[in-house]
Amino acid sequence: MDERILIVEDDIETAEAVRAVIEGMGCAADHCDTLETGIAAALGTPYKVIVLDRMLPGGDGVEAIARLRAGGSNALILVLSALGRAANRVEGLEKGADDYLPKPFEPDELRARLRALLRRGTMQVLDNDLLAFGDLEIRMKARTVHVRRAYVAVSPKEFELITYFARNAGQVVTRMQLLESVWNLHFDPGTNVVDVHVGRLRRKLEEAGSAAIQTARGEGYIFAPLAGAAG
Amino acid sequence: MAVAVAVLSLGAMGLQYRLVEARLMDAQRSLLSADLDGFAALYDQRRIIALRQAIDYRAAAATGDEMLLLMDRQGAVLAGTRGDWPAGLTAEGEGFAVNPARAFTEGGTRWLAVARELPGGFPLLVARSLQPVDDTLGAMRRGMLGMLAAMLVAGGLVGWLAARSVMVRIGRLNDLADRVAEGALDARLPGARTDDEFGLLETHVHSMLDRIETLNRATHRLSDTIAHELRTPLNRMLLKLSKIEDQEEVTAELKAEMRQAIRMFDSLLDISRAEADAGSGGGLVPVDLSAVAREVWDLYEPLAEDKGLDAQAVIDPDLRVLGDRNLIAQLLSNLLDNAIKYCASGDLLTLSLTRDGDRHLMRVADTGPGLPADMRGEVFERFVRADRDRGISGHGLGLALVRAIAARHGARLVLPEGQKGLTLEIQWPRLQQSD
Repeated sequence: MDERILIVEDDIETAEAVRAVIEGMGCAADHCDTLETGIAAALGTPYKVIVLDRMLPGGDGVEAIARLRAGGSNALILVLSALGRAANRVEGLEKGADDYLPKPFEPDELRARLRALLRRGTMQVLDNDLLAFGDLEIRMKARTVHVRRAYVAVSPKEFELITYFARNAGQVVTRMQLLESVWNLHFDPGTNVVDVHVGRLRRKLEEAGSAAIQTARGEGYIFAPLAGAAG
Repeated sequence: MAVAVAVLSLGAMGLQYRLVEARLMDAQRSLLSADLDGFAALYDQRRIIALRQAIDYRAAAATGDEMLLLMDRQGAVLAGTRGDWPAGLTAEGEGFAVNPARAFTEGGTRWLAVARELPGGFPLLVARSLQPVDDTLGAMRRGMLGMLAAMLVAGGLVGWLAARSVMVRIGRLNDLADRVAEGALDARLPGARTDDEFGLLETHVHSMLDRIETLNRATHRLSDTIAHELRTPLNRMLLKLSKIEDQEEVTAELKAEMRQAIRMFDSLLDISRAEADAGSGGGLVPVDLSAVAREVWDLYEPLAEDKGLDAQAVIDPDLRVLGDRNLIAQLLSNLLDNAIKYCASGDLLTLSLTRDGDRHLMRVADTGPGLPADMRGEVFERFVRADRDRGISGHGLGLALVRAIAARHGARLVLPEGQKGLTLEIQWPRLQQSD
């Protein structure tokens, strides 16, 4: 991946950390430290993703999303902000952000989010009815999961969970991402409720002979059915 | 007020009535006295004969206003305007003095009479009709009654007009208060203030509202500023933590501590924001309460099952409220998380959501340890935790946030007494179905 990503962030240390994550993914990063220079840069270069702060010199990044869209930018927008309460996150998403990560953030979490966004543009092919990963098959219309041709009974939520994993196959998916994307909840429940659900799905798959879901170092899981089959 | 004025006027008129009555009676009495003086003079000259002639003469020219009668010793009429002695009237004394005089009624007419028995046994009656007096007094009474009625009507009308203008102006202030209570902090009364007490009251209300609006805006700005100023250094700390290698256990613990601190801090800000917005409908949209309850239940149910709880939910479909989905989910998540945290294997945990009249009744009940009796009154306060729960993780803000979110939605929070474990009821105002 050699996508270009724009960072609009006034805190130098944070900007450097974001740059490190982006360059660690093999992408190129540009940095602006005010809202106006950020918008000018975003409208001048076709960025794939913009990492946008909120309380910037010049204004609120979220309020500028509409201007970016009106200016013709198709970049996916990840808001990275200290305004991290649930209400702030919902507001940001409602105003057009594609993802919203509150500060303080962990580099792993940012990496997972950026990967998910970068993949989003290339995922259309997965909207087929059948998602097949070696001997694990997901049928979207019938909402069924098969491992080695054997039917695995999953609850509706577990089906949404495995679909989300499948869309991000091979990437680390964090608990926060799952809670936001699968349950559409934007607050930290304190207890790791998500673990229980992933654990159940994982056991069902393992009983059927697939070790597709693995715990990733740190904050999440990784769906790697082919590696599982090979190992 | 109108009645009091009428009663006072009535008193004044009554006094006047008495005066007129006394004056008229005096006039009749002096007429009678003049008659008697005339008769006395005649009697002095030629006794009964002169009296009889005078009475005959007067009777012939009778006007009906006077009653004269002279009789002899045997009761035969010698002269007079009538043929018999009036019943019930007895002769008193024998002179021509006007006193004593008696009033008596005959044929619907009142008379002022002087009855005497002249020396030798001649009964004499001289009386004047009180009809003109009664007529005058009657007219006066009617006039007074009419006046009283007019005063009552006029008083009532004036009172109603005055009250109506006061009511209209109070109504304006009440409407303003209602709009402010619904969240329109910038609502003000249009037009200029009048130069009276109402104008002054409106000015005071306006300056109070200006102050509330400023404070509210400052609260909102402050919470954003606090968030920024606190999270930015925390962010640098976390980034530096991420660079530490080989000490994963310690860094993981530190990260968990930071996460708890941020959660607590977010809860505090969420509570104050929800409290600041409480009661105002601003920012709330129709939400399918049943669906949110189902989703959060589905999220927590496996957790409860894994802990060995008997978890059951009864959720009526399609119950809707005006709300904030994320806040409602957070409220329910706090309640279920608490219940699961405090219950032990074998306990019962139930969530029910049912329609109850014009409210939706949400009830989370468990058979866990419940609340210590001395804490019932204060569990919804910030940072209140039972001493026995020191060993259980938490910051004592969960129920305070539950209360603030309920208040934000105009929902009532009830802790029913006498249940085993902890039962909590939230009565949500039902959204009027318009679709």
